[in-house]
Amino acid sequence: MPTTSRVFFKTAFAYLILGAILGMLFLIHRWLPLGDKLLTLRASHIPFLLIGWLTQFIMGGAWWLLPPLPSRPLPDDTRPERRGQHQRGSEPLFWTTFVLLNIGIWLQALFAPLYSWTHQETFRILDSLSGPFLVAAVLTFVLNVWARVRALGKG
Amino acid sequence: MPPIARIYVKTAFAYLIVAFALGALMLLDRWLTFSRWLRVLYFSQLHLLVVGWMSQLALGVAYWMFPRYRERPDPRGPDRLAWTAYGCLNIGLLLRFLCEPFYLMGPRPWLAALLALSGVLQAVAVTAFGVLIWGRIRPLR
Repeated sequence: MPTTSRVFFKTAFAYLILGAILGMLFLIHRWLPLGDKLLTLRASHIPFLLIGWLTQFIMGGAWWLLPPLPSRPLPDDTRPERRGQHQRGSEPLFWTTFVLLNIGIWLQALFAPLYSWTHQETFRILDSLSGPFLVAAVLTFVLNVWARVRALGKG
Repeated sequence: MPPIARIYVKTAFAYLIVAFALGALMLLDRWLTFSRWLRVLYFSQLHLLVVGWMSQLALGVAYWMFPRYRERPDPRGPDRLAWTAYGCLNIGLLLRFLCEPFYLMGPRPWLAALLALSGVLQAVAVTAFGVLIWGRIRPLR
C-alpha cells in the first residue's frame, strides 16, 4: 500500500470517528440537552462523514488498487518508461487532491457553524469558499486516475 | 474473503435493500399517502444508507483487503474486536431505526435515552474498528 493511500485511509478513519462522535452528541442532546449551539455542528457532521470518510476512503482505495498505467503509452513513445509508483499517476497531483479536499472540508466544518453562531459575513464567505476547493479536489483526482480505469495486462 | 468480512458485506447489502425499499415506499407515499409513519423515517433511512450500507461495506472491504500481519497468529487483528465493532454498529443502528420514528412522533425521556445509547454504540463501534485497522494501514511486505 503506497504512502499516499495510507495517508488517505488514516485521515478517512479519523473523520469517521470524529463524525460518529458528533452524531453521538446530537443523539445524547435529545436526552440530556448539551446546548442549542451543538446542533449547528450538523454542518460539520455531514461533510466529515460523506466527504472526509467515504469519499476520501474511496479515493485512497482507487489510488492503491486501480490497474497501473502502461509503462510506455505508445510503441513509438520516446519518453522514459514509467516504473513503480510513477505507474499510479502523478503523485504531486494526488497530494494536491488531498490538500484541496481537506481544506474544503474544514472550511465548511468550521465556518458554517461559526456563521450560525455569530452571523459574521466573513465566516459565510469562508464557508462558501469550501465549494470551489472541493470541486478542484475531485477534478484533480478524476484527471489523475482516469487513464487507470482500463483493462489489466495491456502495456 | 474471511467470514467476518463476508458478514460485514452481506449485512451491508441487506441494509441497501431495506433502505431502497423504504425509499421507494416514501416516494410512493407522496402519491398514495399510505401512512404518516413513512414521513418520520427520513433520517433513519438516510442513516441506513450512509452507515449501514456504505460505511459497513467500506469497513468489510478494509478488513478483508488491507495488508495483514504476517508475524501474528491473528493476521487481521483480534477477531473479538472485529465482532465488537460489528455488534455495536448494528445494534446501535437498529436501535436508532426502531426508536427514532416513535421519538419524532412523541418524544419520551426513555426513547431519548435509547437514542443516546444508539449514538454511543455507533461511536464505540467505529472507534473499535479504527483501533483494529490502524496498524494494518501500512506498506505490503
